[in-house]
Parts: sequence; C-alpha cells; structure tokens
Amino acid sequence: MSLVAQAPLLSLKGITKRFTGVLALDQVSIDLHGGEVHMLMGENGAGKSTLMKVLCGAYKPDEGHFESRGQRVQVHSTADAQRLGVAVIFQEYSLVPHLSIAHNIFLGREPRRRVPGLIDHGRMHREARAVLDRLGLDIDTRRVVDGLGVAQQQMIEIAKALSQNARILVLDEPTAALSERETERLFEVIADLKREGVAMAYISHRMAEVFSLGDRVTVLRDGKLVATMPAGEATADELVTLMVGRKVDMSYHRGERPACGPCVLELRGASSTGGIRDVSLKVHAGEIVGLAGLVGSGRTEVARAIFGADALTAGEVLVNGERLKGRPTDSRSKGLGLIPESRKQQGLALARTVGDNLLISGLRKLFASGLYRPRKALAHASSMIATMRIATRGPRQLSRNLSGGNQQKIVIGKWLLAGTRIYLFDEPTRGIDVGAKEEIFRLIDRLVNEGCAVLMISSELGEVVRVCDRAYVMKEKRVAGEVPRADLSESNLLRLAMHHE
Amino acid sequence: MSAPLARRGLPQLPGVAWLLLALLLGLSAVAPGFASAANALNVAQQATLLLLLALPMTLIIMTEGLDLSMGASLSLCTVVLAVTSLGSGSLALGIATALLAGVLIGLLNGALIAWLELPPFVATLGTLGVAQGLALVLAEGRTTSGVGDGLATLWNGAVAGLPVPLLFAAVAWAVFHVLLHHTRFGVAVIALGGNREALKLAGMNERGSLIAVYALGGLFVGLAALLLGARLGGGHPTAAIGMEFDAIAAVAVGGTLFERGKGSLGGTVLGVLAVGVMRNGLNLLSMPSSLQVAAVGAVVIAALVLDALRGQH
Repeated sequence: MSLVAQAPLLSLKGITKRFTGVLALDQVSIDLHGGEVHMLMGENGAGKSTLMKVLCGAYKPDEGHFESRGQRVQVHSTADAQRLGVAVIFQEYSLVPHLSIAHNIFLGREPRRRVPGLIDHGRMHREARAVLDRLGLDIDTRRVVDGLGVAQQQMIEIAKALSQNARILVLDEPTAALSERETERLFEVIADLKREGVAMAYISHRMAEVFSLGDRVTVLRDGKLVATMPAGEATADELVTLMVGRKVDMSYHRGERPACGPCVLELRGASSTGGIRDVSLKVHAGEIVGLAGLVGSGRTEVARAIFGADALTAGEVLVNGERLKGRPTDSRSKGLGLIPESRKQQGLALARTVGDNLLISGLRKLFASGLYRPRKALAHASSMIATMRIATRGPRQLSRNLSGGNQQKIVIGKWLLAGTRIYLFDEPTRGIDVGAKEEIFRLIDRLVNEGCAVLMISSELGEVVRVCDRAYVMKEKRVAGEVPRADLSESNLLRLAMHHE
Repeated sequence: MSAPLARRGLPQLPGVAWLLLALLLGLSAVAPGFASAANALNVAQQATLLLLLALPMTLIIMTEGLDLSMGASLSLCTVVLAVTSLGSGSLALGIATALLAGVLIGLLNGALIAWLELPPFVATLGTLGVAQGLALVLAEGRTTSGVGDGLATLWNGAVAGLPVPLLFAAVAWAVFHVLLHHTRFGVAVIALGGNREALKLAGMNERGSLIAVYALGGLFVGLAALLLGARLGGGHPTAAIGMEFDAIAAVAVGGTLFERGKGSLGGTVLGVLAVGVMRNGLNLLSMPSSLQVAAVGAVVIAALVLDALRGQH
C-alpha cells in the first residue's frame, strides 16, 4: 500500500533524443512525484527544453519509455500526454493573438452545448473567469490577447495549464517575464497545487527559486543527467559546479597579447526598441570582448542596437568617439560589421555564388565609380578565398553547397573586404564542427592582432573563457557585470548570468 | 443613449463603410438610373454572387492562405451544371454534380496546401489552370444553354416578396457567422493564421481544419455556380473569369488582414457591397470592364491606405 503511494506519478526511463546526429538527450531518467516540485537546471543547450518537449509529447524520443504510476505507457502525441494529465506552461508563447483570452485558455477544449458542435460561450467565460481569479488576474476574458503585455500573456499561459486540472505540470522559466507581485501569486498557486498532490517539473535559472520552491533538483549537462538530489541538500556552489562540469579545454588559454589600443566602440546607457536597458560597455582596438548571458538575456539585442538594426530609445553608441546615426548603412561606413547568429537567413544569400557573397558588403568601397567590373571582382574574391582558406571549388560555386564552417568564413570575409574594423560576432561557432571552430578562432585572433576590435556573443561559456580578453555578462536585458581577464572562468560568468540572489 | 453611441461609434467606422457611403452618394448623383428599385435588385443579385465567394475567401485569407482558383472553378461548375442537366435531363442531378465538382476542387486545393505544403498562391494558381482548361474542354468552348426555367427562378424568383438571391446571401452569412464564432472549426481558422504551433500543441487537427476551409470554399463556389447558371440560363467556360479578384478585393477592403488570423465577416459584407455597387455604377456610366478592374484595384489600395493612416493595421 505504502509502496503504491510512493510510486511516481510519471517517470521517464532512459530517454535518448537525437537531432540529425546531435545527441540532445542521452539516457535521461527522471521521476515526478505527486506533491513535489522537481527543479531542472542546466546551462544553455544542456537539454532542458528538449526534455520538456518529450514530457509533453511534442517530441518522440528515439529510445526510452514513459511509466505512469509504475505502469509502462505509450506517449506518441501531445494528446497522449494530455490524457496522462500532463500540462505545460510554455515559455515561448503559444497564444493566438486574435482570439479572446477565454478562447486561448480553452483552445481545443472549448465547452460545448448539446446542439452539435456549438461552443458554450457562457460556460467558457465563467470557467475562464474562475481560473483568472485564482491567479489574481483582473482582465476581461472577452478581450483578445493581441496587445497584452508579456507578463499578462505569461499569466494567461499559466491559466491555460491550470484550467486543464493537470496532475503533472511542467513550467519552463515561468517567472522570467513576471513582476514580483505576479511571481508571488504564482508561488502561492504552486504551493496550493503541491498540497493537492500535483507533480511539477520546473525549469529555472534562479537559484533562489530552486531553494524556496524545489523539493528535488536535477542538473543536466550536454544532454546527460549529472545529478538528482533533494533540494535541501544542495548548495548554490555545488549546483554551479555540476552545471559547468570540468571540461578539458578549460585549462587551455591562448597567450597574452600586447596591451590593447584606444577605445573604438562604446555604448553609453543604451536602451533600444529590442528591449535592452541602460547598457554601457567599451571595446578597444586589438581586443576581443565577450558578451555572455543566458538565452533571452539580451545579447543579440545589444549587437542589433550597436549596428542600428534596432533603434535606440535612450543613450548613444560611439565609434571612435563619433556618435552613430543608428542606421546599418551609416554603421557600415564607419567600419562596423555584424556577423549574425543565423547565417543562413541573415548573413548569406545561399542561392548566390561564393564570390557574390564575399563582395556584397564591399561593393561600394571596391567599385567607387558605381560600375561593376567582373574581372576585378573575381580577383578580389579569389584572393579572399585564399586568405580565409575557404574550402570551395572557386568563387563561382554556390554558397549553399559549402559546409557551415566555410559559410561562416564567407560571412567574415565579406566584412573584411568591406574594410570593417569593428566586428560584432553573434554565436560565430554555432553549428560548426570542432576543427572549423578552431579556424574561426584563429581568424578572429588574426583580426585583433591587426588592430581590429571584436565583440563576441557566445552561449558557450567555455568559448568565452578561452577566446576573450574580457567579458560582459547580460541578465534580463541589462549588463549584470564585467569580468576582467584574470577572473574569466565559466563559474564566474554563470554566477553573474543566473539569479544568484 | 444614442448620443454617446454616435460619438463613440462614428469615428470608429471602418474605412470600407465610408467608402460605401461615398460610392452610394456619388453614384446616385452622376449615374443615370442608379437610384432606382430595379437597379437595387440588380445590385443585390450581383453582390450575392460575389458574397458567396468572398465569405469563404475571408476564412481562407484568415488562415494566411489564398484561393486564386475560385473564378475558374466557378466557370467550370456552371459548365458541369449545364452539361449534366442537359445530358441526363435531370436538373437535380446537374445541381448535385456542380456542387460536387466545386467541393472536389476545394479538396484538391486543401490537400495540396495542407499535405504537400505548397504555398497557397502556387497551389491555387495550378488549380485555376486545371479548372479553366477542363471548363473549355467540357463546354467545347461554347455557351451551353437551354437548361430550363426551373433554374432561372434561383436568379429571378422571389419568396415572400424577397428575391431568392437575397435569401441565399442571408443563409450564407448566417452559416459563416456560426461557423466562425460558435464552433471549434472557427477557432481553428483563427489559430491557423494566428499561431499554428498553438493549435498543434492543443492537440487539434491543423491539417484537417485547413483542408476543410478550402473544401468549404469549393462548396460555396458550387452554390454560386447555381446562381450564375440561373442568370446565364446555362453554362459558360469563361463566365466568371477574374471573379477571384473581386472576391479578394472585397475581403481586403473589408479589413481582413493577410496575416495573424484577423478578419471580419461584417467587413467582408461591406466590402462586397462596395465592390458590387462600384461595378454596377461604372456599368451604368458605360465604363469598359477593363477600366473597371483598374478602378476596383485603386479603391482597394485607397481603403487600405485609409485604414493604415488611422492606425488600424
């Protein structure tokens, strides 16, 4: 009898999930007990979100199975998971903008009248009202979601999950967008649900939440489960160490470089339409500055604000002491180059040749007369292919047929040809194999040795530690701190990036 | 009671309402015979034909889709109606096959878009060609006439003093209103354009809903073919050529967005009236139909600019 009571409401056993060769989850097993909050922690890309998608049936695991109260069960779809009582509070919003709040809460589960197929609006709005009241949310259920603030949308997302009377609730960083008052209200609801025997899996980057809410903590790293322990027995330092792990290349640092030159790029109290607030930072010639932080902390938005892709709402961006006008064309002519995160969408015209892509940003500088001279263009492209050591049959090959690493080299070469002196790299090594990564780093190293300045955004803390001279850490769209060379370590960066109250 | 309503309601009238008002006043002044009972009936008949296409087109556009095949398949359905009725001697069989032909083309559109994930523009451009070709082959390039008087009452007849086409329009509007606002199918339509991922995560059948939207369009093309066939007294392979243009124009003027699942059936009704009134007035002013297309296009742009300036988009 007591054994039955202790059996977890839901267990994942030996879950493995691969994405085209990448191992996202590796033999992960996790138990969710009724009346318990199970915290999930890990760095970016550790596999938390994948695990959550498996839990709610959106991803089908390649190996492993589900057990419900000790019984093996099949979960092939979100509908299967819902039947087991699983509800998910998603972080990326799953709301429909032009449907009412009540419709969104009951999407796909609308109460219906006896008349075949007709929705019972009265009952739907009454029930939606009850759920919103439970969350202390005073908004008209007939209002459409479009135009609501991020916090309110997140609360509706929570209401949606609550209305399912789930026995297993999955929360993906639910407080990231909430104010203090709403967070408190949510925590009260979580406490209620605990008393009612609901099992919860809670992804969080906030240490304080782990200790105040959690009954159990599981740490993931590189798709593997590193440890599961009672939250009361864990310490913050221990958790950070578990998340970071001891990676081999942490001991490997590149040599010191000569003292850097004058400050060439400066942000003063910059806020932007992209959401960053009061960001100040400096980058000197001959220096690689890292910009670390968790996903959604505002790193990319800093780069966009510098380059003029997002408009500034306050503060200024100075290049060589001169104020930028906030337009990409102006930024480019002042020597700035942005190497965006998704090179396939933003950095490269895949259907064009290697030569075309290399030349596109330098056209104005190379052909000042306005006349395009094919032979000169070909010569420039060929010499760049040689300097960058791009593995291609020649400038006439289509860019789409190159590997990720070589495509990235084209993007860098493009800005070199344009005479760029200040480089903004957004995740320069994402999706690139190890060998090509080293080459990209060597290229970046060469750029700064020639007196260029580099601001490098990276999710991989190890990469920031290895490559950068200094780093800024972003948290909630602000600069949480600056880490000088001497203190540059993964745990220092992670401490600043997380909410280590 | 009425004073605050007027104060709040008046400036919020969508651009299309002002447009319709301006057209009615302007055409009454300049077009001979515009403001007459006979002409009003004429406008109502024509507008109903357009409404039967524009209502499903509204839902299709709300799913971020498009149906370019409507005009061609409407022509095809009139030919099917005429050829089967004459061949079999049964009007009922003709009507049934015409409706079936419409639904089949709609299903084909839906399957291409939902299953093969073709862009709606390309998929329905393809079926436009297929339908047009079939219509020409089936009709041997000619008008097929002599279907009989039974069909003609759909266009000219009246029930309890109301013209039959108006009854068609009222029923069609009621059907679409209930579907969009009182069923899960309607919720799915709004979510298909607004957030397809949400629909999937809610465990709803997003492909099935998408196919149903286009099949519904096909069914109403078939119904429109009954009216058009009644007017022509038979079938004609190019009778409705370009009618998808008027339908899309009416939807756009009516304020339905081409993204994010925002649309309005009421707006479409007003849009249909605006386009219908305009076409009728320009006919009375003997403007060649090629110029009318340009005029309708210009009005669409004007209405959208007006809405954009007033910050509705």
